[in-house]
Amino acid sequence: MPGDVESIFIAAIVSWILFVSIDILFGLPKTGGVSGAREIAGEIEREGGSLHGGYMMGNIVCSPDASAGTLLAACGVYIAGIPGGLAAAALVYVGNRICHDPGYAGTTGALAATFVIYGFTTIGFSAAHFIAGMVIAILTIQGISHIHASRLLARLWGWRS
Amino acid sequence: MEVITTQEIAILICVAIAVFSAVRVIAERNTVRKLPFLNVLSFAVAGSLALLLPNPLAILAAAAYFVGTTLESNAIASTHAGGLKKDE
Repeated sequence: MPGDVESIFIAAIVSWILFVSIDILFGLPKTGGVSGAREIAGEIEREGGSLHGGYMMGNIVCSPDASAGTLLAACGVYIAGIPGGLAAAALVYVGNRICHDPGYAGTTGALAATFVIYGFTTIGFSAAHFIAGMVIAILTIQGISHIHASRLLARLWGWRS
Repeated sequence: MEVITTQEIAILICVAIAVFSAVRVIAERNTVRKLPFLNVLSFAVAGSLALLLPNPLAILAAAAYFVGTTLESNAIASTHAGGLKKDE
């Protein structure tokens, strides 16, 4: 049984892989879903980053995507187990519609994360580890270096397309 | 002896990241470039909210807060892109 710090570190890696793969599967780096996301991508490109990575970062800012789904599912599982995670998925669905997002990346991310996080709670992890882990995971994408994060996302998108 | 619980460690991490991203939001001059940092701040605050208030309604509060800030960022970025002329 790993300690809290190790568990949070593992949860951050699992959350990162989960939300990045679902977002890329749903084609978030392809183009900006709304004009605001395209504006953010353009700004990141002007800064020296990559346009397609910027589209994904803009889409994450402008509508709840798989990363938001993972965070809210972790909150839901922490408070109320699987029903809490499913409630979070329903709220993410409503959030997507409010933000004029026609996609299902957020809802899919929340549903997938609910079961992944519940699975991890059966082997000694706490959903609290995943809340902190997801906050660390989003920090690495949106909060450290937009230039390097967008280039990394563009490279991952290049493998898929 | 265990002096700090799992919940407390998770809250500490969320709060530390919230403060860090708040400083980045303040330090960044360009409005559009502030938005990804603001997004991290929203994640950290929504996470802290659920950790501090383990009550079923906290899921609703965290989701409502998160979707609200996302919609605000969306509106700020769309305004910079030229508003309603390009899309609804």
